[in-house]
Amino acid sequence: MTSADTPVKGSFRGVSDIPLVARQVRFEQLSFWLNPIGALITIGFSVVFIVIFLSTSRHSTVNYLPINLGQYYVPAFAAYGIMAACFNVLAITMVNRREMGLLKRLRLSPLPTWMLLAAIFVNWMIIALIQIVLLLAVGRFGYAVHGPQDVGAFLLVLFVGLLSFTAMGVGISTVVPNADAAGPVVSLVFFILVALSGLYFPVRPGSGLATFTGVFPIRHLILAMVDSFNGIPGTSVWNDLLVVAIWGAVGVFVSLRRWDWSPKRG
Amino acid sequence: MPARARGRDECGVDVPAVSVEHLSKSYGTSVAVRDVSFEVQKGEVFALLGPNGAGKTTTVEILEGFRERSGGRVQTLGVDPADHSTQRWLRTRIGVVLQELAVEPFYSVRQVLSRNAGYYPNPRPVDEVIELIGLGEKADDRVKRLSGGQQRRLDVGLGIIGNPDLLFLDEPTTGLDPSGRRETWELIRLLAASGTTVLLTTHYMDEVEALADRVAVLFGQEVVASGTPSSIGGRDLGAVTIRFRLPEGVSPASLPMRAEPSDDGHVEIHTEDEVRVLHELTGWALEGGHPLQGLSVLRVSLEDIYLGLTQERAVRRIEGSEQGGSVR
Repeated sequence: MTSADTPVKGSFRGVSDIPLVARQVRFEQLSFWLNPIGALITIGFSVVFIVIFLSTSRHSTVNYLPINLGQYYVPAFAAYGIMAACFNVLAITMVNRREMGLLKRLRLSPLPTWMLLAAIFVNWMIIALIQIVLLLAVGRFGYAVHGPQDVGAFLLVLFVGLLSFTAMGVGISTVVPNADAAGPVVSLVFFILVALSGLYFPVRPGSGLATFTGVFPIRHLILAMVDSFNGIPGTSVWNDLLVVAIWGAVGVFVSLRRWDWSPKRG
Repeated sequence: MPARARGRDECGVDVPAVSVEHLSKSYGTSVAVRDVSFEVQKGEVFALLGPNGAGKTTTVEILEGFRERSGGRVQTLGVDPADHSTQRWLRTRIGVVLQELAVEPFYSVRQVLSRNAGYYPNPRPVDEVIELIGLGEKADDRVKRLSGGQQRRLDVGLGIIGNPDLLFLDEPTTGLDPSGRRETWELIRLLAASGTTVLLTTHYMDEVEALADRVAVLFGQEVVASGTPSSIGGRDLGAVTIRFRLPEGVSPASLPMRAEPSDDGHVEIHTEDEVRVLHELTGWALEGGHPLQGLSVLRVSLEDIYLGLTQERAVRRIEGSEQGGSVR
């Protein structure tokens, strides 16, 4: 008779928890890299765009800030890297996993929910960080664009952005009814808002477009990241991060209300 | 160590692997399971048989702890599967094969089995499972490159990788070709022989006859009959058909009992007293030197019993609803 025969209440330690999370992250990463086309598109998109933008217009000045476009695009695309990985791709992946029954299978395994979610978060955080490191490297070594001036603010923006957009990604995945709808619904909303929020061109504060996109978190993460890189006097990341965090909380709320391990097949 | 942990209750009596008493499950006004009761003993292969929508999968999902019940009492391996405090332990002791394929497409066979093996404290060796499911030559192939049948076998492999005491198989051979079905049956027999309790849902009567020690028929969200495959629904008590072919020139009228010619040239005798009739028949044949070619004794098939049980109730339901309608 082994100890495994005894029903164990509360915190079960049949398999050690932290190594199990690390192991799950490793398999999440493996799953990502085993689909090289998907991985290349996810990571390469922002790098290709930053090269195009920096090659053509990095010396122009931002119309409302005392910095050039090079100093704007690198942090803006760093913010995009977070949003693309933790919101867009994560949401589509989660819908596909749910509809394929993969979430249900994991639910029926001894892997606790928190470990699965932690591993998913760490996995997409790694992918976002790879994008950011690549963008910084391209900016610094290819076009002499400096990195974050305020490292503390940059790390804070990174942390709040990763957490909040992961929460939003999981949240939106719960309202998408089926795998066919996942790409169109999530990507359409995301790419339209990204374009309008100032990723490809700075949007002057106070304009109608800025007021509209200011409702959503994308513009605020871009602005917070630009601020953390440039340390512009009179600007602060706090207000922008507050909006991002509120949207993150909405994502958590929606996830908790609508989460389903079973396929919806809607 | 608690008595239940040793698989016995406080009086030293073996606790069943699964115990279901008056189980019910509703979604709003829609009833998914109604007053279902049955027990599965340790080491037994138990089949839940029923048409789509009968409540088989819902029942199994409640037993797995995946869904919460609306009423009744349920114990899986001695614990309440809805009790969150023992749920993780329970999931280390059960294996599940879902009704639909659920395997990541980009991993190799070995990778996906290795990943899941890591969730369990005492898993089966990955290579042993790969051999058991007959995917030795495909061990390093991506899942997406496997045929549907091979993916299904991998699905079964994921169900047994944790070395479970209790295995839930939700229509495990749906979509498999005949040889794939037979291989899966062999695997289930092997697991049962090694002491694994198996709870199986299926549409296939031959699967029940080949594998199950006992069976319960679910229809209209409730259990309408249960027993062994050979006795369910009075199968062992009803009339049998004795069939054979008479030599040319010998008429059925010359037999010592009433017989009827069938369309395919055989002669059929319907009786509830097969021992006496066979004795008289074979005595007559030996005495007269009449060979009885293809002599066989056929009981009513499980399929006949199943269809009888379900159709009879379907008719009663329609009649009941019509009467209810006229009253209103």
